[in-house]
Amino acid sequence: MTTDHAPSITGTAPSATRARDHSLRRRKRTSNALVLAFLIVASVIMAAPFLWMAVSSIRDPTELAQVPMPLIPKDLRLENYSEALGRAPFATYARNSLILATAAAALNVVFASACGYALAKLRFRLAPAVFGWMVACIMIPFYATVIPVFLMVRHMPLFGGNTLMGVGGTGWIDTWWALIVPGAVSPFMVFLFRQFYVSTPSELIEAARLDGVSEFGIFTRIITPLIRPGLLTVALLSFEAGWNNFLWPLLVTTSDELRVIQVGIASFRQEASTDWHLLMAGTTLAAVPMIVLFLIFQRYFVQGFASSGIK
Amino acid sequence: MTTTAPTASTGRTAPAASPPAPETRRRRSVRTAEKRWGLLLAAPATLHTLIWIGAPIVVAIVLSFTAYDIIHAPEFSGLENYATIFTDGLFWLSVLHNVIIAAVGIPISMFLALVFATMLNRALPGRGVFRVMIFLPHITATVAVAMIWLWIYSPSQSGLMNVVLGLVGIKPLPFLTNPDLALGSVILVTIWQGIGLKMLIYLAALQGVDEQMYEAADLDGANFVQKFFRITVPMLKPATFFILVTSLISNFQTFDLIYILTEGGPANSTSVVTYRIYQTAFQEFRVGLANAQSVILLLILVVLAFLSRRIVGGTDDD
Repeated sequence: MTTDHAPSITGTAPSATRARDHSLRRRKRTSNALVLAFLIVASVIMAAPFLWMAVSSIRDPTELAQVPMPLIPKDLRLENYSEALGRAPFATYARNSLILATAAAALNVVFASACGYALAKLRFRLAPAVFGWMVACIMIPFYATVIPVFLMVRHMPLFGGNTLMGVGGTGWIDTWWALIVPGAVSPFMVFLFRQFYVSTPSELIEAARLDGVSEFGIFTRIITPLIRPGLLTVALLSFEAGWNNFLWPLLVTTSDELRVIQVGIASFRQEASTDWHLLMAGTTLAAVPMIVLFLIFQRYFVQGFASSGIK
Repeated sequence: MTTTAPTASTGRTAPAASPPAPETRRRRSVRTAEKRWGLLLAAPATLHTLIWIGAPIVVAIVLSFTAYDIIHAPEFSGLENYATIFTDGLFWLSVLHNVIIAAVGIPISMFLALVFATMLNRALPGRGVFRVMIFLPHITATVAVAMIWLWIYSPSQSGLMNVVLGLVGIKPLPFLTNPDLALGSVILVTIWQGIGLKMLIYLAALQGVDEQMYEAADLDGANFVQKFFRITVPMLKPATFFILVTSLISNFQTFDLIYILTEGGPANSTSVVTYRIYQTAFQEFRVGLANAQSVILLLILVVLAFLSRRIVGGTDDD
């Protein structure tokens, strides 16, 4: 398609152009209205499951049994939440998820930023090898390594009654070590940090060196403050991954004391299999914190997801 | 910190004294400091990934050649596990389910994502709200998402699906408990959940499409459909290919959804690769076999990932 003539519209007769512009604008307005109508319907359908969750979490259980059930609940029943909290320790689950997600965010920000900075801005002999290794690691899915990681955690020497050879006890199983350590650094976050650091000015590093600022000082006090949006992006993505994680906490925790909220609602499901009003109250507790965080920090999530494409 | 960098400080305090010698010395010391800090800063993350990703890969490959049940020590068994997989109908059925979910779900969800993205690329009132509503399923934990759909699919008359069907006079359907309906019901959820991220990547790609092309087409009197198929679709080819490959990769990692919705049932009609591996390792305790299955999964994903990296490499501008 040729676009070369496009900018020279003004060259034609002015009155004809104005008439055409007018009809174009009118056509645009009607098509905008159609698009808007479609989007309203479609996005309401997309959001309907969440609305259904929220509505069900405050419904009276007797209403759920009615045939036909009224789509809009007659009165709000917030007791569902206190009842759910009484049936399972959701507060403990939420606290555990909060600790896990915060630790994942903090550790990734610290260690992945250091590595990302080194890869982007410092010349050292192993840099190409380290970068290649990180990229290779991104391609390795957790599901392919989960069994060996589980075995390594279980046979961690000198923990949980294990001998030096890693046998006899339970190792890190059902400890914070198991929940936090294996996920402390994500190679993808290293990659993302490198991308953020690459776009910072190297002249600043040279100038700081001339001023005698230490290499560590340049990293922490001069360059890293420049990528604050990047720090927030990585922190939020890691937090989200930590809060939403399921398989790993499922495998390595056995007690309620360490259970995280996603595993908590999964096991609550067995327990309260027919009490949908309680199950939806629990699910709301597991889903809403991420939704709120997303609404607040939308821009950074979107930036992170758009630059990742992979999740 | 006992970092020994005396030359760096002397080089700074004596700039004009003796011209060439300290200058080169200083530069050399800067280079040493750079090298040292490069290694130091990269080391923690590199060691961590070597221990928690590198070592497990090696362990997985080694254990895939053993018979191991967690209780007794692993015993070398050669290619036995791979021979077992070769004839394991359930494993390949699970692979097939992944392929079906991908073949049906990905095109539909890509098409819808593209439609939403083109519409949201216009200056419309409230487009931020639409974007959020469409993206929410992606940001929410799959476990929570699966719980919500479990309730929507509930076979009782109060499951939303059946309420809606009831409005048009259809009797309640057993969405997740009927082997003929279960996989389709799972696919519907993956479509709903997958639209958001695909739409986002399409939106990002659309920002790169030259507005003048549409203006020129407008002047030529092209309608919406013509513009969509003649300009938008061809311009988005790289994004489409990228989304396709990354979706294929994440499709092979579906686990949480199946664990909550169906546990692979009924009658194995929704079992997927990751769920089969989970069962083999943590329910049947055939850890050696499960590792061999993991190696097969890894091979499938590495092939797909290589494809995607090539594409990312082609469009990256660093």
